[in-house]
Amino acid sequence: MIKTKICDLLGVKYPIIQGGMAWVADASLASAVSEAGGLGIIAAMNAGPDWLRNEIREAKKRTDKPFGVNIMLMSPFAADVTQVVIDEGIKIVTTGAGNPAKYMKDWIAAGIKVIPVVPSVALAKMVERSGAHAVIAEGGESGGHVGELTTMALIPQVADAVKIPVIAAGGIGDGRGIAAALMLGAEGVQVGTRFLVAHECTIHQNYKQRVLKAIDIDTVVTGRRLGHPVRSLKNEFVREFAELEAKESVTNEELERFGTGALRKAARDGDITRGCVMAGQIAGLIKREQSAEEIITEMFTQAEEFLKNAGRWLL
Amino acid sequence: MVFEKVRDMLAEYKSVDASTIKPETTLEELKLDSLDTVQIVMDLEAEFNITLETDAQIKTVGEIVALIESKL
Repeated sequence: MIKTKICDLLGVKYPIIQGGMAWVADASLASAVSEAGGLGIIAAMNAGPDWLRNEIREAKKRTDKPFGVNIMLMSPFAADVTQVVIDEGIKIVTTGAGNPAKYMKDWIAAGIKVIPVVPSVALAKMVERSGAHAVIAEGGESGGHVGELTTMALIPQVADAVKIPVIAAGGIGDGRGIAAALMLGAEGVQVGTRFLVAHECTIHQNYKQRVLKAIDIDTVVTGRRLGHPVRSLKNEFVREFAELEAKESVTNEELERFGTGALRKAARDGDITRGCVMAGQIAGLIKREQSAEEIITEMFTQAEEFLKNAGRWLL
Repeated sequence: MVFEKVRDMLAEYKSVDASTIKPETTLEELKLDSLDTVQIVMDLEAEFNITLETDAQIKTVGEIVALIESKL
């Protein structure tokens, strides 16, 4: 068994957090991951407080185990959903797309454990000072909104810079990734892309099939010009977006408008040609649909084997 | 005093000539993204031995200087 500080901090069997993926991470996936011994996450994304409240209540019906909520800090409803997580008694919050400092005091006062996603050492140190209980250091291999550093380079630097536990994210899709993350100084992992093909993940089947078919070189990052780059699988939409991005005559507002709703179109409507199929670089490794429980137990069984056999490299 | 120090730190961070940075220069003009801003806030805190409000809405170099001066 692999046991780290993250297990006690979150009250979970396995030190694994499911990524807070917009239009993906709903009550169904979150409760399945929590039931399987990981920490399920409902993504508040750009949704309003009513949607989040309903998902939280639905997840509570499906599991007695702890689950968390991811707050996307750029959301127009960030302040509203912040209050919802407090009112609904959520115990763990992860945050993305910014500096959560202004909300952290309220969450901590409400007894919520706060785990921000950070792409740099400076932000990790800053959120630690604001009272974060752990950080998710996410490398740019991940899908969706990405930072510039790779997981390999980011994790050891963050681990050296903060005293709170570090959770590694970006490019982790099997037990080897978990073992490597632990070696880099992390005490847990966050996994997104592999959970896209979980049976309990409610995204459109077309999206799942596209992820299963993906190869290693299939992802691309667009949107750097807008200040929030996104990694997704290459398709017609992404090609057009990249062309518009390269054109100086296209304004940032026009570019934003072109991208609006594209993830929903792929994840919910199944339009994987004209929608944005966000996925990490590890998508090429993912070859079959499984239940969340199968995914988690398989990953940790494999990680244990690798760690046990790691001594063979030593003379 | 504070302005000169902030100006020099920003100039070094962005590898630009310090004389191009004025109090009214915006962070956007310096092409500082949100991560750069976090990094610079941490550096300034260490330099001046202060703690800055991390959610303050700062747009110009002059506003950074005013914020630091209010803490000294």
